[in-house]
Amino acid sequence: MAGGGFDSAESSGSSRGKKKYHKGKKLGVRIDMTPMVDVIMLLLTFFMLTTTLATPQVMQINLPKGEETDKVKVDMGNVLFIRVSGAGNIYFSLGKSDGSEMLPERIPFENLRKTLESYFASNPNLLMLIKFDRKMKYNNMVDILDEINRAKIERKYSFLPMEEIDIQIVTAAGG
Amino acid sequence: MKKARSIKKPGINIDMTPLVDVIMLLLTFFMLTATFKAADSEAIEVSLPKSVNTDSTRLPENDIMTLTLTNTGDIFLDVDNYNVRKDVFGNEFAIGLYHPDSTSQSEFLTTGKIGDKEFKREVIPMNKAQFEKYINDLRLNLINRTEGKQDFRIVVKGDKDTDFGVVEDLMKSLKETKNTRFALVTDLKSATLE
Repeated sequence: MAGGGFDSAESSGSSRGKKKYHKGKKLGVRIDMTPMVDVIMLLLTFFMLTTTLATPQVMQINLPKGEETDKVKVDMGNVLFIRVSGAGNIYFSLGKSDGSEMLPERIPFENLRKTLESYFASNPNLLMLIKFDRKMKYNNMVDILDEINRAKIERKYSFLPMEEIDIQIVTAAGG
Repeated sequence: MKKARSIKKPGINIDMTPLVDVIMLLLTFFMLTATFKAADSEAIEVSLPKSVNTDSTRLPENDIMTLTLTNTGDIFLDVDNYNVRKDVFGNEFAIGLYHPDSTSQSEFLTTGKIGDKEFKREVIPMNKAQFEKYINDLRLNLINRTEGKQDFRIVVKGDKDTDFGVVEDLMKSLKETKNTRFALVTDLKSATLE
């Protein structure tokens, strides 16, 4: 293709032009690329086989820096308790300003993000206190934190140990 | 010379230049993106949980302190700097083992295996106090070694069937050693659940 274009542009006499072109090619240095290609192919195969492309991603967790004894006063009206039972069921209950809290409501995992967003729409200053049962699986924890991260809310949460009373609340609500 | 040329001429000449170009590009790509499997072949395999996580960051490439949680509740403490391992553990191939749950036995200490795999590195069993001391010592060692330029990033690699109790104990230990920033390793999940 390129040769044809070259020919017509070079001269009107087709036979002369062809000859000239041919002669020019012959004078050039010809390097045999086959050994190089062999080596490169080997290298390529090596790198393709030894790479792991899917590097795992990470989820950042920041725990509060304070000492265990440092007490932070929180208005109970701004607290949302999230309790997760050993079976992985999620229960929300809002705190009341007088220190008590509302009855726990079971939230299916599929609705977790929407529910969180609607809770935060009505009170943007909510602080999530998350209590996971020790028998729950790590997978549930990652799933729930992931949903909290994905929800369009200000992420203020802290982990609290699940105590006997929490287990009672969760069991009373269905376990 | 002349003879060789006359033999060569009748053969078909394939121009390899475009092929070489493409292969070179591929080679460069793979060389630049390569992270070797060999580097973590000594690590313990766990099935990671999946997450969508929109503000995801990638795992840092070096200076990682890995805490691997197996589904039987063993925590393995490892760093990727073998000089630090040699200084702190006394053996450059050693790895720490902490089993926070006192009601059950460590799988590795009873069977000598992780899952059903043999594990060849030297394992140092630790209790809670030793575990927390080792976390501090490992970090201090790297900080002193590099005159404060480098520090370990803590990465938690949990099996998805690990009990949360183990994670809770680990978080407590991390908090007590003032390591409040750490990262959970997850696999990428496509955001299908909308």
